[in-house]
Amino acid sequence: MMYKKIIGILLLSLTFFTFGEMAFAHGERAQQAGLRMRTLNWWDIEVTPKKVTVNEVITIKGKFSPSVWWPKHMANPSERLAYLNIGVPGPVFVRIDSRVNGVPMIRSTHFELGKTYDFEIKLKARTPGRYHMHPVLSVHDTGPIIGSGQWVEITGDQKNFENKVTTLTGEVIDLETQGMKEIATWHLFWVAVGLAWMFYWFRKLPVLMPRFKEVERLGPLHANDMISMKDMVVGVVFFGGILIAIAASYVWTQNQYPVTTPLQTGEVEVAPLPGQGDVVQIKMLDARYRLPGRSFKVDLEVTNNGDSPIRLGEFLTANIRFVNRDVMGDVQPIDEQDLIAKEGLVVDDNLIQPGEMRKITLRAEDALWETMRLTSLVYDPDSRFAAMLFFFDGEGKRYHIEVGGQMMPTFS
Amino acid sequence: MSTEYLPGEVHDDELDPNEIRYVEGAVRNSAEQLAAYKNIDLATLPLLFLLFGGISVFLFALTVGDWDFWMDWRDRRWWPLVTPFSLILLPSVLGTFMWLKFRLPMGATFATMSFLAASWASRYANFHDFAGFPLNFVSPSTWVGLGVVLDATLLISRSFYFTGFVGAFLFGLLTYTINWPIFAPFRIPIEYNGTMVTVADLMGYMYIRTAIPEYVRIIEESTLRTFGEAVTPLTAVFAGFVTILNYYLWCWVGHKISVSRWMNRII
Repeated sequence: MMYKKIIGILLLSLTFFTFGEMAFAHGERAQQAGLRMRTLNWWDIEVTPKKVTVNEVITIKGKFSPSVWWPKHMANPSERLAYLNIGVPGPVFVRIDSRVNGVPMIRSTHFELGKTYDFEIKLKARTPGRYHMHPVLSVHDTGPIIGSGQWVEITGDQKNFENKVTTLTGEVIDLETQGMKEIATWHLFWVAVGLAWMFYWFRKLPVLMPRFKEVERLGPLHANDMISMKDMVVGVVFFGGILIAIAASYVWTQNQYPVTTPLQTGEVEVAPLPGQGDVVQIKMLDARYRLPGRSFKVDLEVTNNGDSPIRLGEFLTANIRFVNRDVMGDVQPIDEQDLIAKEGLVVDDNLIQPGEMRKITLRAEDALWETMRLTSLVYDPDSRFAAMLFFFDGEGKRYHIEVGGQMMPTFS
Repeated sequence: MSTEYLPGEVHDDELDPNEIRYVEGAVRNSAEQLAAYKNIDLATLPLLFLLFGGISVFLFALTVGDWDFWMDWRDRRWWPLVTPFSLILLPSVLGTFMWLKFRLPMGATFATMSFLAASWASRYANFHDFAGFPLNFVSPSTWVGLGVVLDATLLISRSFYFTGFVGAFLFGLLTYTINWPIFAPFRIPIEYNGTMVTVADLMGYMYIRTAIPEYVRIIEESTLRTFGEAVTPLTAVFAGFVTILNYYLWCWVGHKISVSRWMNRII
């Protein structure tokens, strides 16, 4: 009876897989909270258009800034190589262009901490389906760090996809099929050689047991007598023939492809965007995270060096936007997984006049702290945080500045 | 008629426990024995083929991995060195076993053929069909010809020492050359967005691998500055030398596992 119960439980457990929510995750919630908050700030990410057919191009663009509070125990992109990538399930798109501040990003590069970079990636649709797409920055010895994702849909038929380029020797080639003829030809040739060799030894069955018995009978000193002169001739023919075939195939290939180069690698240099000046200056006074309320409170000293009043409109951390509705209005999520707390930011004394230095208090509150597993911030070994603040002046001009430092948890 | 003397334990009360019993064997004449031997060949070879294919693909994935998975990783400096060094293992062991037990010079061919078959199955099913990469970008390399050279050297010389010195050296030396007809179409230069790349580099850029950023490729690290641009020939010669050493090591292992000590104890 016990085994029936076990089988029943196992079958019941299968229903969790059957009716469970489908997972499309790229690790949005998997990494340490402090890591997500203090590595890369991504914002203004746009994907256009959201729906394309095979062979059409979509563009994903936005901005990122490596945090000046980047954890010391992790390699950062100013000291190690970094590569702008895309988080999609395999080559459902092909990347036809990617640039940071206008510089092509075919190769890897470095980025300065605290600086701002524009990125733009163009992708050609290849495989029909609906995909959650993220910009990704991979940092050597740290790994991939993802920006916020958006859904895109590809329709059509992959059979219609083509990917043609022109080589420096003037040929137009299709990357989907390039070299396939050579691959098939030479693999089949060498398989035929291998089969011929095997066939020679197994041309007349049985082989294994009679030879085993004969080796046992003759003993190790005389077992070589089993090798006949015909075997030797065949061995010499194969040995010499293969060396000749390898040489001939090499010469043939050199004639077919006289111009080749080694695989290419290297680094590119990219300069950051110019700064926005010192229109807004901040100094963090205190930061406390109250666990029961899922509330993050920061006291700041803000200085407005501009000529227009400014207000704090947004607190961005770990790809979550805590929006001040009084400043930003009714911000709508782009899709069902856009991480926006529409009324998640409340700011006291939120109007700093030109030339004024004022202490303000912000509260970023939302269930997203919990659902995105940021409450585990209190379990980080150094209890530090970072976030990007967005201030707006009277003309709607935006100023971004990063805040970060020590964080104190509150447990009641 | 084949019979066997079996004074075994008998539980039937009606039989005398001390009675001598004659049990009929499975093989009753030479024709049946021949058929049985044929069946052993027909059953053993496909099973060994599957077994060694699985082992070699797993071993290769652990030791070489991405170096041979992607066309834009198979560079002229490291790929020709690490791949024969790793791949000589099973041809050495199986070649030694097949020679010592059967005087059959086919272990290396068998191992490289099974590796190729399993590689194609893996690349087609995993990389192409499941993950969606073009088959040309992930197609395997070939070593079958070099496996036959190793076996033929053993056959001609009847000596593991000479086979290592010549056959294993050729195995490492010619790895890049035998694969050059497959690689060459992917080494054509292209100007793309103001950057010079090869076809393979461009495919690596275009066909997105989220977990494999560009910088993880190990291509042309360090320099052979005394030898100009003769990178591949030098690497090939060095690969030949290290393959000799690895061949001898795994031949020794092959000798050890060919000893019937444990089987004799069981029997």
